[in-house]
Amino acid sequence: MSGKPREIANVGTGLWKATGMWAWLLFRISGLILVFYLGAHIIVISMGRFDRLNEVMKTFDHPVLVLADLALVAAILYHALNGVRIILMDLGIGIKRHKAVFWAAMAIVVACFAVFAWVAFTYIATGSGVVD
Amino acid sequence: MWSWLFQRISAVLLIVTLAIHLVFTHILDIGELDYDTIGARVAHAGFTAVDIILLAAGIFHALNGLRMVLLDYWFTSRRRAMALSTALWVVGIAAMAYGTWALWPWMT
Repeated sequence: MSGKPREIANVGTGLWKATGMWAWLLFRISGLILVFYLGAHIIVISMGRFDRLNEVMKTFDHPVLVLADLALVAAILYHALNGVRIILMDLGIGIKRHKAVFWAAMAIVVACFAVFAWVAFTYIATGSGVVD
Repeated sequence: MWSWLFQRISAVLLIVTLAIHLVFTHILDIGELDYDTIGARVAHAGFTAVDIILLAAGIFHALNGLRMVLLDYWFTSRRRAMALSTALWVVGIAAMAYGTWALWPWMT
């Protein structure tokens, strides 16, 4: 009776030992956030029709809301790159190395997020962007 | 099957158009978004196309995704699923009409 104990099967609570379950849950949560954001976004942009767009856009200049916007970017980037991974799996690309594909996608998320975070924090600190 | 396929087609459209949208709104025009700067951007034919594709693909992808989530919970019978799809199509078409109406003064 030597050797490692048998790995717990991916059923029941054991499911949550797999990275894929967390990827799936986060995909759902980020997706739902983006659905509600899209609705809010369409309503905000439609304020242009009522001559109220500029005053609404001004309220979004508050640092807390700039950070909320950055959180939105994180949700978009995660949802987009995990979505790319799902499409790759659907096409049969990289299935044998699916874990590496997932972490490569996450590396792209982090790299892109760093750029947006740099711009957002520069804006909060100086009141202007990094490119003119 | 069609909803699965169109979810992927709209996903690819969104990756391209949303990347353009985010670079312009969150990097290039940060802090400068108002009625006139948005108007100057949308006035280009290319951006009109980007925004309309973004709106259509975004609404479809969002509501179809919401449908997939809801089908896992309460909308489990065929009758409930049909009612859900019908309601989401109504919401989607209304959102597309309203969104196009909102962008119209800038596009024309």
